[in-house]
This record gives sequence, structure tokens and C-alpha cells, in this order.
Amino acid sequence: MSRLAHIFKEFGRNIYRFPFTALGSLLSLGLLFLLFDLYWIGSVTFEKTYVHLLSDLEMEVFIAEEVVEAQIPDVQAAVAGIEGVSSIRYISKLDAREIMHASLGVDLLAGYDTLNPLPRSFIVDFETPYLASDQMVEIAAQMKGMPMVTEVYYNEEWLKKTEGTRSIILRVGMALGILILVTAVISTVNSIRLTTRMRSEGLAQMRLLGAGRLFLAAPLVIEGFVIGALSAAIGWGVLMYGAGKVTFTQFDLVFPHLREIALFCGAAGFLGLISGYFGVRKLLK
Amino acid sequence: MTDRVIVELSNIDLSYRRSGEIFRNLSLTVRAGETAIIKGGPGSGKTSLAELIVGRKFVDGGAVEVFDDVLRPGRTRAINRVRRHIGGIGGIFGLVPSYTVAENICFPLVLAGVGKRYQKERLLKMLTEFSLLKKASDYPRTLTRIEHTLVQLARASIADQPLLLIDEPMAGLDSSTAARVFEYLVKASLSGRGMILLMSEYPQGTLPNSTSYVISEGALT
Repeated sequence: MSRLAHIFKEFGRNIYRFPFTALGSLLSLGLLFLLFDLYWIGSVTFEKTYVHLLSDLEMEVFIAEEVVEAQIPDVQAAVAGIEGVSSIRYISKLDAREIMHASLGVDLLAGYDTLNPLPRSFIVDFETPYLASDQMVEIAAQMKGMPMVTEVYYNEEWLKKTEGTRSIILRVGMALGILILVTAVISTVNSIRLTTRMRSEGLAQMRLLGAGRLFLAAPLVIEGFVIGALSAAIGWGVLMYGAGKVTFTQFDLVFPHLREIALFCGAAGFLGLISGYFGVRKLLK
Repeated sequence: MTDRVIVELSNIDLSYRRSGEIFRNLSLTVRAGETAIIKGGPGSGKTSLAELIVGRKFVDGGAVEVFDDVLRPGRTRAINRVRRHIGGIGGIFGLVPSYTVAENICFPLVLAGVGKRYQKERLLKMLTEFSLLKKASDYPRTLTRIEHTLVQLARASIADQPLLLIDEPMAGLDSSTAARVFEYLVKASLSGRGMILLMSEYPQGTLPNSTSYVISEGALT
């Protein structure tokens, strides 16, 4: 038997001889990753909704009464020239009246055609990177500073609250990620350490016969890799199966791309590999 | 016997915190094909000597050189290389509990990285030579003391390791097995392999190319 074949045989033997140790770590890691996957799907779904909602965010820029119609193109050009503005639409007094009519269902200005008090305005849309509180405050200040602009309005409170929620989700995700990472490492290290303890007599004998550290550690490190990758795959498998059985009416669940899932499983395997190394390190000193 | 020195202990000192001084200025040279018989009572340091030769423990003073490699802490590769040249029997050497008899015997060849075919041939030869054919797929926990010794002898012979390190080879064996082991030692001695025998009692008979020493109070005489 070649050395490589021996290493893989040893890996199989470890699983065969201590199936419950391997199964225990597989299930506990699988549950941990399932929790993380759930959070991941939740945050991706939220992110998609967040981007969709943000794309609807507009800014209304009201024009001073004394500005004559001939000056409107200059004001429009000045507003459109501000960094981050993606499109601009002019709302005349007549347009404003129609919008109000459409939203209230009654034309309150009927009979007062020449006395329309509604202000003229621009509806401004922004490029995605500028749809953030601090950027919007800056842009609004810039617009307010223009001599022909009287008022600037956008849904500032909503934007701040949505950003706050997003930030909380990100922080929770980070904390959860770190917690799961640490727990996964500890769980795998303990599992591998348990296996090495149970095999310590045999490993000591093999060392006395001249077996190197890498040769002895490889099967256990491979075990860590397989347990890590497999438990991550199990987590996703369970979720995908579950998602196929449930439908949501308010929103669609967004799953990460298959490539990202494969990368995640690979990373989980790598985590298991590192944990496996830490599990055997002490014994092989 | 050639002039090549395979084991050289030069003026070694060793002491343990608990049991105090084990060796003081001890020297030993073993050449290829030579047998060193080291006799000593319990606690005289026989096992410590074996541990020094395989690089499991390290001297406080002096030097241990095995197959031209000086054994020092941290020289893991050299130590592993030396260990692969040693066939160990008894004392600190045991069997791997999770391996079958066949796997235990074959292990030195696996480490040597030799082909599968050669491994099978050698294994069959060893199993036949040491009457272990029926036990090939058994695990060490099911073996008797005698069978344990026979498996270790087979393992120490399969790769023709140039040095045999044998700690109390006759301990616990019945007279007929002891005679068989002694016969093996004679054969091994004649085959040109170096041997270090660590024993408290020397059996009847003489080994060719052998030098006897007594280990007592930390020194060899």
C-alpha cells in the first residue's frame, strides 16, 4: 500500500471505528451552519428589498416664486450638474395641480386657475452609491444653497431608519458569523482531539517506527476537512429542500449563487482542515 | 561484520528530575553486524538507553549518533529517518492496536514507500516464518503474549532494518518460544544486522559477533 493510500485508509478507518464521534460533529456543525445559512438568506433577501426600496427614493427641489419660466432651464441644469444626480424631471404648477388631483381624487383648485399656489419643483433621482443618508444630506445642503431654490424635501427619516436596520442586520451577521466560526473550530478541534486521544497509543507506536508528523496528521486533518465541508453542504441541502416546500406571498427568498454556496462549503472544509490540524498538533509535538 | 559504526554513544550524561542521575559519562559503540548485549537489573537504565537511541529522549551531555545522524531535540526528520532503520522489539515498542497483525507487520514497508507487490511478498514470507498466517487479520487485543512477540519480530524483520533494538526479548515467554526467539537472534546476528539486546537475564547459548556489557550505576562495564 502506498503512503497516500494508507493515509486515506486511515481516514476511512477513523470514521468506521468512531462513527458516533464523526456523526456528532457532523450534526452539530450542520446545525450551526444551517443557522448561519438562514441568516445569510435573510440578509440577502433584505438587501435585495433594501436596494429595491432605495431605488424609489426621490428628492423634491422647490423653486422660488420669483423665478421666471425662462430661467427654469438654467436652474434645472444647475441641479442636474450636482454630483450623484442621475435624472431630473420638471414639475410645473399645472403638473403639480394634476398630481394633487390624482392623489386626492378632487381638484381643489377648480375655478381658481390663475391663483394656483402650488410651487414649481424638480423631482430628482440619484445614482445608487449616492442613496445614503450622509450623501443625501450633503446634496440637499448643496441644493438648498442655490439662490433660486426655496425648499428641498426627501424622506430623510425613512432613509435613516432603513439604514439603521441594515446596519443592525450586518452587525448581528458579523457577530453570528464569528460565534459560529469559533464554535465550529472548537467543535471540530474537540472531535479530532477525541479521536487522537483514543488512538494515542497507536500513534505513539507509529512515531517510534519513524512515521512523520504529516503522515500521522494527514488522515485526521482530512477528516476535519470532510466534516467541515459536508456539514456545510448538509445545511444548504436542508434549506433548499425546505424552501422548495414553502412559498411566501410578501417576498421571495433570495438564495446565494451556487458558486457562492460551493465556496462557502469549501471555506467550511478549510476551517475543518485548520481545526483538524489544531486537534492533532498537541499530540504530535 | 564491517567497520561502519551504526550507533555511537559518546560520554553521555542523563538525569531525571525525579529519579536523579541515570547515566554518567557512558559510551557505547556498535558496528554493523555486531551485537551488543547489555545486561542490567530493573531501573538500571536499559529502557532509557533504548529511548536515547530512538530519539525519544535526549542526553544532558555527550552525543548520541545513530546511522551518522546526531540525535538532538528538534531534528525531527533525522530522528524519523533513524527510527525507520531500527527494528524495535519489546520495551517501549508495541503494536498499533487499531491495525491487524498483517498491517502491523507491513507498517515499516509502508513507511519506506515500497511497492504493493513487494509488500505482499514480504508479508507472506514473514507470516509463514513466524507462524502467523492464521492470525493475519486479527487485532493485537486478541493475541497472546507470545504472538505479540512474534508479530514484533516479524515487523522488525520485514524491511531488513539494519539495527535491531530488543528490550527484554525473553520476558514472559515459555521455554520453547524463548528458544525460538533465541534462534531468531542468532540468525539475525549472522545476517549482518546490528543488534542491541537489553536484558536482565541472559539465556543459555552464545550469539555470534557479540560483546556483553553490564549496565550499573549509570555506567557500562
